[in-house]
Amino acid sequence: MTPLLFAAGALVAIGAAVATGARDARIASLGVAGMLAAVPFVADPLPASLPLAFGVIAGILAGFLVFVAARRAPDGAGPPLGLPATLGAAAAGFAVGIGATAVALPRLGPDAALAAGMAALAVAVAPIAVTHDVMRLGSGLLVLVGSATLMLAALAGTPEPLTAIAAGIAMVALAAAVAVVAGGAMAATGGTVIADDVPGHRAAATRAGGELP
Amino acid sequence: MSVLPFLVAAILGTVIATVLRDRRRLGTLAGMGAVIVALAAAGLIGPDTPITIGGGALAGSDHLRLVLALTLGGGLLVLVVARLATWQPSAPGTLLGGAAGIGLALGLSGTPPSLLAAAAATIVASALALGSPAAPSRVRALARELRGATTSLVVGLVAAGIAPAAAGGVPAEAGAAGLVLAGMALVLAHRFGAIPLHARVSRLADAAPSGALPILAAWLPATWGLVILGWAPAALGPAAADLGLERGLVVALALATLALGAVAALIQDEVEHVVAYTIVTDAGVALLALAALDPAARDAARAWVLVFATTRTAMIGWTIAFRAVFGTGRLRDTAGWLRRAPALGVALAGILVAVVGWPGLLGWDARLAILHAGTAGPAFLLAFAGSLGTGAAICRLLVVGAGRPSAVVVGAPGELPRFPAGTAVEATAAAPGGAPRAGARAASRAFAGRLGTLTAAAGRRVGPSLALNRVPLRALAVILLAGLALLAAGGAFGIDAAARAAGPLLPSPSPIVGG
Repeated sequence: MTPLLFAAGALVAIGAAVATGARDARIASLGVAGMLAAVPFVADPLPASLPLAFGVIAGILAGFLVFVAARRAPDGAGPPLGLPATLGAAAAGFAVGIGATAVALPRLGPDAALAAGMAALAVAVAPIAVTHDVMRLGSGLLVLVGSATLMLAALAGTPEPLTAIAAGIAMVALAAAVAVVAGGAMAATGGTVIADDVPGHRAAATRAGGELP
Repeated sequence: MSVLPFLVAAILGTVIATVLRDRRRLGTLAGMGAVIVALAAAGLIGPDTPITIGGGALAGSDHLRLVLALTLGGGLLVLVVARLATWQPSAPGTLLGGAAGIGLALGLSGTPPSLLAAAAATIVASALALGSPAAPSRVRALARELRGATTSLVVGLVAAGIAPAAAGGVPAEAGAAGLVLAGMALVLAHRFGAIPLHARVSRLADAAPSGALPILAAWLPATWGLVILGWAPAALGPAAADLGLERGLVVALALATLALGAVAALIQDEVEHVVAYTIVTDAGVALLALAALDPAARDAARAWVLVFATTRTAMIGWTIAFRAVFGTGRLRDTAGWLRRAPALGVALAGILVAVVGWPGLLGWDARLAILHAGTAGPAFLLAFAGSLGTGAAICRLLVVGAGRPSAVVVGAPGELPRFPAGTAVEATAAAPGGAPRAGARAASRAFAGRLGTLTAAAGRRVGPSLALNRVPLRALAVILLAGLALLAAGGAFGIDAAARAAGPLLPSPSPIVGG
């Protein structure tokens, strides 16, 4: 693992931790942008310049879309873990990823990609599994997609340009959907926290309310 | 190259339909028009020279044309039914956005780009359908869909990274292959709503606009299925002999889904939930196709998926018309519904025939081929019985309809067409020429004048006529949907040949071997 790859992987891990652990949703969105923009650099060999630029721009755009939603959002539920604990989880995931390279499957990609992917996965699980705050959920999902592209790069080598382009489009689509769901939550409840379904209150009444006569 | 015009039409249509969705009349015209244009463009798709993009390719095929044509054709009819019942601003944009994503997912080469496109399509369609108007139930449903699509994407990408389809026939290491098969089975189970992951489908049916349900609950899961089933035999087929335990677990999950899904469909009281659980039931068939790891089962599944999604589209259209006629979807309140809605009964009987079929019909043969590939002995019998669960659920709907009419049914409008009062009187009074004149020429002039006046009067009365005849028009559209389902089940449009055709680019880079 070259120092540059290690640094890029560490940057991704820190960005993922900030994205899922920062209390302020705007700072979390900056973490999303930083993490996603750094993801294409954790590959050996580096992608061609065009897919690389596409990945960086898509990452920044995705982070910006989340930032736009976060700017309008009131204070939500906060992260499931605090920032220090999330940074610790990311570091643990990174270490596990590095350790796994000694015993893992045959791979075509760099160790740093697996380590960064594991770090991102470790911090993305809590907001996806636990939180009711759609902003936190969105940040977690974006970090999870970044984690998947890193693991794909670790297992199958540097992604083909078509895969990188498709990943960029999927990330921007997801970020836009996060902005939509956050806007919908704010319009419906005034905040970004949505409670669970109430058992027994389903179906027809909801449908009739959602469709204009 | 033929995919590009479709993508342009579908994406532009999505934007136009979404921008104009708050204008009821203009939005309706723009949405329906955009769907028709996209449908025409989809009809032009065929196997042709691939477009090279970033080391991969985008290409059309006969199967892709059929998928998109049935998606948009069935979706358009459902939009008509829904529009005649209520105003669903987001439904046309959802259909077009989802169809564009399906075109990309099945047109791109390689499993990872296809999975990414399928996930993007699911995310975009869900956001369009559930993003507006804002309501807590919709926000919850959208969050659930985003969570599910993203998690499925992540599992799928990692699995495709561990066992790429383009491995050149080299068997993957047994332990890894087992994990990969389990992961992909999980993805397929979640997308289709297999038990125990079934809650997603019924909750989606509760929250999403009914006009958007065909794309969200049937065609997008079908697309995920096509991508995964295209990848599995190439990636895991060489290691199939070492995967006995894992395949057995997937088959067990499939059998549980077929059996419990059928029971659940039979005990639901809301018609939307009946349809949702028939989708859950057929998730078992998709899982059996995956467990087979066999190119022949994959080809059968490529045909079966079209029948599955078309029949579910027709059932969704039927539920919209049913709820609109009776004002409720509860079966306990709508006993005897066949008396007031016999045309809907005819349509449902047609859907039943398409769902169940008979030996020699494509739908029947494809389903049976999948069951044979995935199971044997008693397991096959259980799977076969479970696969008839959808038919049993439809039979129950018909039996409820044949009962004694409830008060709700008695008070519901009938299906006979009605005309605005005064049209004939007005035409007679306004006929040119005053008093009738003798002779053939005079009679023909009088007839022509009366016809012209009637046409003009009808033109002025299109709105009132439509308003008066919503019930029969909806019934007619549902009958057309049932006809489309019957055609698909009968193998019309060359479905069988398209499903078996070699497609080096679709959906995986390995050649698809005819079954």
